[in-house]
Amino acid sequence: MKAFVTDVQRFSLNDGPGIRTTVFLQGCNMRCDWCHNPETIPVRPVEMFYKDRCIGCGKCAEGCTAAARTMSSREMTVEDVMFQVRQDKLYYDESGGGVTVSGGEPSLHADFVEALADACHAEGIKIAVETNMSLPWAQIDPMLRKMDLIMCDLKLNATVEHMKHTGLDNQSIFNSIGRASKLGIPMIVRTPLIPGVTDSEDNIKPIAEYIAKMDNIVRYELLNFNPLGGSKREALQERDAYDGVKPLPPESLDALKRALAGIRGLEIKVV
Amino acid sequence: MGKIRFINEFAADRTFTYDERIALLRARKISQTEEKARAGGADEDDYGLIEQDEFRYTLKPNHPNGSIYGFKAWSENYCAILDRHPIYVDALDAFAAKGFFFLERLRPPGTKWNPDYAYPDLQAIFDRYQIISGIDNCHHFTPDLQIGFDRGWGGILAELKEERARHDESHHEFYDAEIAVVEHVIAFIRRAGEEILELSRIERNAQLAENLRTMGEIDLRIASEPPKTFREAVQWSCWFSMLSRTYNRGSAGGQLEDLFNPFYERDVAAGTLTDDEAVFYLACMFLQDSRYWQLSGPDANDEDRTCHLSYLALDAANRLNIATNLTIRVHDRIDRAFFRKSVELLFKNRQGWPRYSSDKALMEGFMRCGYPKELARRRVAAGCHWMCIPGMEYTMNDTVKINIAMVFEVAWNEMMSTEGERSAEALWKLYGKHLKIAVDATGRGVMHHLNYQTKSQPELILNLMQHGLVKKGVNITDGGANYYNICIDAAGIAVAADSFAAVEQRIDREGKLTFAELKRHMDANYEGVDGERVRQLMLHSERYGGGDSLGDRWAVRISRLWTGLVRDLVRQHAGDFRHVNFIPGLFSWSNTILLGSILKATPNGRKAGEPINHGANPNGGFRADGAVTAMCNSIAAVQPGYGNTAPVQLEVDPQIANDPEGIDKMCAMVMGIIKSGNTLLNINIIDARRILEAHKDPFRYPDLVVRVTGFTAFFAMLSPKFRQLVVDRVKSVNPEACR
Repeated sequence: MKAFVTDVQRFSLNDGPGIRTTVFLQGCNMRCDWCHNPETIPVRPVEMFYKDRCIGCGKCAEGCTAAARTMSSREMTVEDVMFQVRQDKLYYDESGGGVTVSGGEPSLHADFVEALADACHAEGIKIAVETNMSLPWAQIDPMLRKMDLIMCDLKLNATVEHMKHTGLDNQSIFNSIGRASKLGIPMIVRTPLIPGVTDSEDNIKPIAEYIAKMDNIVRYELLNFNPLGGSKREALQERDAYDGVKPLPPESLDALKRALAGIRGLEIKVV
Repeated sequence: MGKIRFINEFAADRTFTYDERIALLRARKISQTEEKARAGGADEDDYGLIEQDEFRYTLKPNHPNGSIYGFKAWSENYCAILDRHPIYVDALDAFAAKGFFFLERLRPPGTKWNPDYAYPDLQAIFDRYQIISGIDNCHHFTPDLQIGFDRGWGGILAELKEERARHDESHHEFYDAEIAVVEHVIAFIRRAGEEILELSRIERNAQLAENLRTMGEIDLRIASEPPKTFREAVQWSCWFSMLSRTYNRGSAGGQLEDLFNPFYERDVAAGTLTDDEAVFYLACMFLQDSRYWQLSGPDANDEDRTCHLSYLALDAANRLNIATNLTIRVHDRIDRAFFRKSVELLFKNRQGWPRYSSDKALMEGFMRCGYPKELARRRVAAGCHWMCIPGMEYTMNDTVKINIAMVFEVAWNEMMSTEGERSAEALWKLYGKHLKIAVDATGRGVMHHLNYQTKSQPELILNLMQHGLVKKGVNITDGGANYYNICIDAAGIAVAADSFAAVEQRIDREGKLTFAELKRHMDANYEGVDGERVRQLMLHSERYGGGDSLGDRWAVRISRLWTGLVRDLVRQHAGDFRHVNFIPGLFSWSNTILLGSILKATPNGRKAGEPINHGANPNGGFRADGAVTAMCNSIAAVQPGYGNTAPVQLEVDPQIANDPEGIDKMCAMVMGIIKSGNTLLNINIIDARRILEAHKDPFRYPDLVVRVTGFTAFFAMLSPKFRQLVVDRVKSVNPEACR
C-alpha cells in the first residue's frame, strides 16, 4: 500500500492531543484560497522552487543538491511511514498522543489510511485523522471507524460562502459530521479563523451551536490564521491571496471565545 | 563602578514585605549585571560576582614567572586577601557574602601549571588532536557542606590542629596551609559580623537595621560555631560559596533538601520560622550565587524525597527569577505536582531553570563502574553537565575534552595522503587508531595532573569539605578523596558522525563524487559554485538526529568506540594507589567556537572555522521539522552509560506551552526525554523574536537569562560570538520564527 506523502512531521503539538506525528498526504478535493499547505492540493507531486536556497549553479537538470528545487511529496509505503512513527512511541504513551493523518484530504487515500491505522494499532499507537468530511459517507465511513479520534473542519456556515471559498458545498459535510458523531469515536470540530472570511461571530456561532448538539464532541477549536502558506505559494509560483494578512490579535480571539461562552456543554479552544 | 554598601537608602519609617525586598534586590542585581556586561561581560556562569573598585589585590608570587605554586604561596595569598577583602552589605538582603574576584585568575596568563612539571611529549599529542587535557584545572568536584554544618569552622580548625599533631613532618605543609586558611576564614567572618553590627547602628530604617543586627549576630556566631537555625545554615553556605569562589572559583551546592530541610523542620516546629521567611532566605541564597542545587529525586529507599521545602525552593527561585541553576532529579515516583510546577515555572519565567536529570540512567550507569546503589544515589548534579558525590569524589568533571572532530581530520588526512584503500570503512579504521592515541594520551595527562597538581594548586578550600581528608593530611589529588572518577568528554560527535555518513552515502553508496573530488573541494573550503554544490550535497546527507539515519548509526558507532577506549584507561592505570576510574561523557561545554576555530572544512559540509556541534546535540538543520523527539532519541542512543552525561540541549518556543494542555505536553516531553535513556536535559524557553532583538541590542533586555550550555547566564553578559551560538540553536529548531 502506497501513497504520496508530503511530510512526516514528528513532535507535532497542534494536531490533536499529546505529542504526535503528523502524516501529510498529497491531494485535496477542496480549493481553500487560504490553505497553508497549498503544495498538498494537487493529486500528484508538484515541483517547488525555494529561491532563497538556490545557489545559482545552473545544474538543475543534474538534480538540485541544495534542496531549492524539490518535489512536494514522495511515494511511501505504510511501512515507510511506520519507520518514522514508531520512533516516538514512548512520547505518545507518555502524553496520550499518537499519529495524525492530515493533508491534503486523507479520505482521498482511505485505503492507505486504513492500512496505516491497522499498523498503528498493531503496535499500540493511537491514530487520528484531520478530514474535511466532504467525500461521500460510504467512502469515509470505513476509514473513520478505524480512528481513535476524528478531527474535522467546518469552515463556513453559509453554503454559498463555503462554495465560494472552498469550491465545495457544505451540506454533505454537516450531514457527515452528524453521522460521524454517532460512531462513538471522540471528535474535535475546528474552524480556521481566516480574517474577513470565517472569523465573524455570525459564522462561528451557528457552527458551535450545531455541534453542541452532537454526541462525542470533545471540543470546538478555533484555529488562528496561519500565514506560513505564503512561502509555499511562492515556492509553487502561485499568488498568495493572503499576503500580508496577520493572525487575529488576542483581543479578537477573546471576543470570539466570549461570543461562544453561553453555549452549554461545548468546550472551546483557540489554537 | 558598583557600590558595595547599601545603607540608609530608605526612609526611617518605611516597611517592606519580603516580596518587596526580593523585587528591590532583583532590580539591583539586574543593574549590577548591566555594569558587569558594560565592563566586558564574560562567557561563563554569573557566580554572583560584584564589579567594584574599592579593593584590588596584587599577587605575591613565589616563582620567577610571576605565579604562585604549592601550599604556602596559595595559603599566604588567600589569607592576605581575606585580611583586606571588604564586606559587601545590603540592608535589604538576608545575607552578606558577596565576592569580587578569584585568586586563581590573578595569576599571569599561561602560568597556571608549575613549569617544573612540564609535559612536552604529551603536549605535542594534545596539540595534534586538539585535546583539552584538564592538566592545571581545579575545583571541578563537589564539597559536602554537611561537614561544615556539623562542625563549623571552629570544629574544622580543631580537627586540623589535632591531626597535625598526630602526623609526621611530611604532612605539616598541608596542615599549616589549611590551618592558616581556616583561621583567616574565622577572622574574616567575625570581622564581617562586627562591621555589619556597626552598620545596623547607622541604618536609619528600623526594619532594615533589625535585619542587619540579626545578620551581624549570626555572622559572629557562625564564624566559628556550627549553624543552628535555617537562616544560619543558609548564611553558612553563602559564606562557604563566596570563600570557595574567591580562592579558585569552585563551588557547588548539593541536594538542597538534605542540607536544609532538617533546619527548616526544626525551626518550623519550634515556631521560629515561617514559610515566607524560608522563601526569602532561599531567594537571597539564589541571589548570592548561581551555584548548582539539586531538588527532588529518590531517597536511599527509592521513596521520593520531594518535601515542602522543595516547593519553597521553586517558589523562591520563581519570585527572584534570575539565573538560577536548579536541577530536578526525575524518577518514576517523583511527586507529579512538584514536577508539573517546575515545568510551569520553566515556561512562565523563560530563564532556563530548572533543568532535569535522570535518576535511573545516571544511577545505573554509575553502578556499571562497580559502585553500589547507595553511592550512585548520592551523586548530585553539581555542574554544567556533571554529577558528583559531595565530599567523596575527585572528578575533573568538565575539564577534560577531546575534539573527536579533529581526530577525524587527522584520520582523513592520513587516508588521503597515502595510497591505501579509500572508503568510509578504511577511514573508520584510521579513526579508531587515532582516537586510541588521543584517549591514551589524555589518560596519561590525567595521571600527570593527579601526580603534580598539588605542586601547582592545592585545593585548600574544597579539601575541607571532604570526608576523611583532614585525617589523611593530604591534598585531594594525592589520595585525599575517597574515589577518583575522572570524566573525559568527547566534543564534536555530530561533526564526526555526519562526516562519516556523508562519505559513506555520497561516495561509497551513491558514487556521486570521488574522494579526490571531495578532498579538492574541502581543501578549497568548498569555495566557488561547484564547491558550494558539493557542500550542499554533503550537507543534505542522512544526518545524526535524523531518526535512525545513517548519521545516527555512525554516531552510535563512534560513541561505542569512544566509551570502550575511555573505559580501557581504567585497566591501563589500574596500578595507581588512587584506583582511578575513567568515565566517558559527550560534552563540549561552550568550547564549540574554540574547537571549531582551527578545524578545517569537514565532509559533512561544514566550512573551516565554523563551530562544532554543541555537546551531544546534532548539527543545526538535522531534520527539516527540527523534531525534538528525533533529536532526543538520537542523543539517548549515544549515551556512554557509565554515570556521566551526554546532555540534551533544547531550545523551545514559549508559545508551545501557553495553556494547561501545552504544559501537560511539555511535562510529557520532559518525562519522555528522561525515560528514553537520556541523562540530562538543559532547556531554554526562548522567544525567537526577543532573542534576535537582544542579540542586536543586549541592553534592551538586561534581565534575559539563557542556559548557554549547562550553566545559565544573563544574555547581555555574553560576547557576540556566544550570543550568536544561542541564536543559531534557536534558529535550528524554530527556523520559521527567525525569518
